[in-house]
Amino acid sequence: MNKRRKRWLLVAVGAMVLLVFEARPAHAMHIMEGFLPPFWAAFWFVVTLPFWVIGLRRINRLIVEKPETRLLLGLAGAFTFVLSALKIPSVTGSSSHPTGTGLGTILFGPMVMSVLGTIVLLFQALLLAHGGLTTLGANAFSMAVVGPLVAWGIWKGLQDRAPIWLAVFLAAALANLATYVVTSAQLALAYPDATGGFVASFVKFGTIFAVTQIPLSISEGILTVLIFNALQRNAETELQTLGVLKGA
Amino acid sequence: MHIIDRYAYSNAIRELDPAQKGGLALIAMLFCLALDHPAVGLLTLVWMFALATLWAQVPARAFGRALLAEAPFLLLSLVGVALSVSLAPLVSPALQLGPFWIGSSAESLALATRLFTRALGCAAALNFLILTTPLLDLIELLRRLRVPETLIDLMSLTYRAIFVLLESLQRMATAQDARLGYAGPWRALRSAGLLGSQLFLDAYRRSQRLQMALESRGLAGPLRVLPLDYRRDRRARWFGAALAASLLLAGAWR
Repeated sequence: MNKRRKRWLLVAVGAMVLLVFEARPAHAMHIMEGFLPPFWAAFWFVVTLPFWVIGLRRINRLIVEKPETRLLLGLAGAFTFVLSALKIPSVTGSSSHPTGTGLGTILFGPMVMSVLGTIVLLFQALLLAHGGLTTLGANAFSMAVVGPLVAWGIWKGLQDRAPIWLAVFLAAALANLATYVVTSAQLALAYPDATGGFVASFVKFGTIFAVTQIPLSISEGILTVLIFNALQRNAETELQTLGVLKGA
Repeated sequence: MHIIDRYAYSNAIRELDPAQKGGLALIAMLFCLALDHPAVGLLTLVWMFALATLWAQVPARAFGRALLAEAPFLLLSLVGVALSVSLAPLVSPALQLGPFWIGSSAESLALATRLFTRALGCAAALNFLILTTPLLDLIELLRRLRVPETLIDLMSLTYRAIFVLLESLQRMATAQDARLGYAGPWRALRSAGLLGSQLFLDAYRRSQRLQMALESRGLAGPLRVLPLDYRRDRRARWFGAALAASLLLAGAWR
């Protein structure tokens, strides 16, 4: 009896390992539709709401001041979405998709990004069946709020103190990593371990997704540096114009 | 992505009022989440599959592929829910790996089953909605639900621009690929970086051209488009009632 169960466990662990190393391009980690219980789904909507309100207010103000922001931000949302469809080679050999949050924050600022990131997440749910509607609050909190805030903090904190490429790399890579850590915490809060509680569950989810997410964040960091370097060479005036969108 | 968008426009109930389709999906999702019972999840899956394939005439394969998009996340996180890892020896059947004990229990297996069926049911409801309703109709539905106008504007602009940018991305990628731009991982990364920067420039310049074109035609304020004429189907209401009743019954049955 016991032996048979052990064999099943081995099969389960083996299947998990196979699944992780499967060559399919790894997407950023979004909690799927229906995976969060109603309480936590609602909780994350409530937590994210103030950031949406602040971001939308800022966008409204920008549109009044400079009417061309409306179209620019619409195209920026599409750019972030399409960027996340870009396949980049990952450090482990398989390929993966960037989240685009780090680059978006550097270009457009964190508050605008809380709205743009949410639109991108909504479109990923509606066009790619990736993520979900009831889990939109939780996913937006990790990818459109925490990710941009981390990227912004690093980008501003390292300005004039470190080479630009390092600041860009760390901002993009750590924003991606922060998104994944927050998602693991959200899963752990909703489903704490039977014996070890939240901490054990957090470690568990963190480890399971680390194999795909840590290489992903490193390659996103490298890609963002390459994009940013090319932008500095080819799009100096555009970058200067975008400076006005930002602001703390 | 093109698959979902294509069937959203070509299915048999495309002209139906998005509120009716959204209502059906919403009933399914809410009951699935609130009742939280394996039978309810599976029944929702069956209902949504039947509505999508028989009513909306979306091919079963398209529905299945949309559902499979979430399989890696679902399976990995289910493993996380079903298994416990601990440093102390576990009582239940467990496996020792170095200092760690990996085990499971009847409760966590039951939780994993419930989660699996609930997520499948909810994802099926979402897929029914997105495979039968074009995104512009969903945005129109959000507008009726009094979502702020700026947000509606940004969403419709984003949706329209996505396909344009995607096409230019694909053209650039083909051109790079034809010049061996993706031979070897390092070169592929460099090409992807160039591609990303050019895509940004493309998006930026497009927005400026669009602004100029719209301004010269007197744009001031939000972009208004006329909503489509939708058809309302009495059957949708019957389907909704039957769906709710059957899900409640399945939830009561233990």
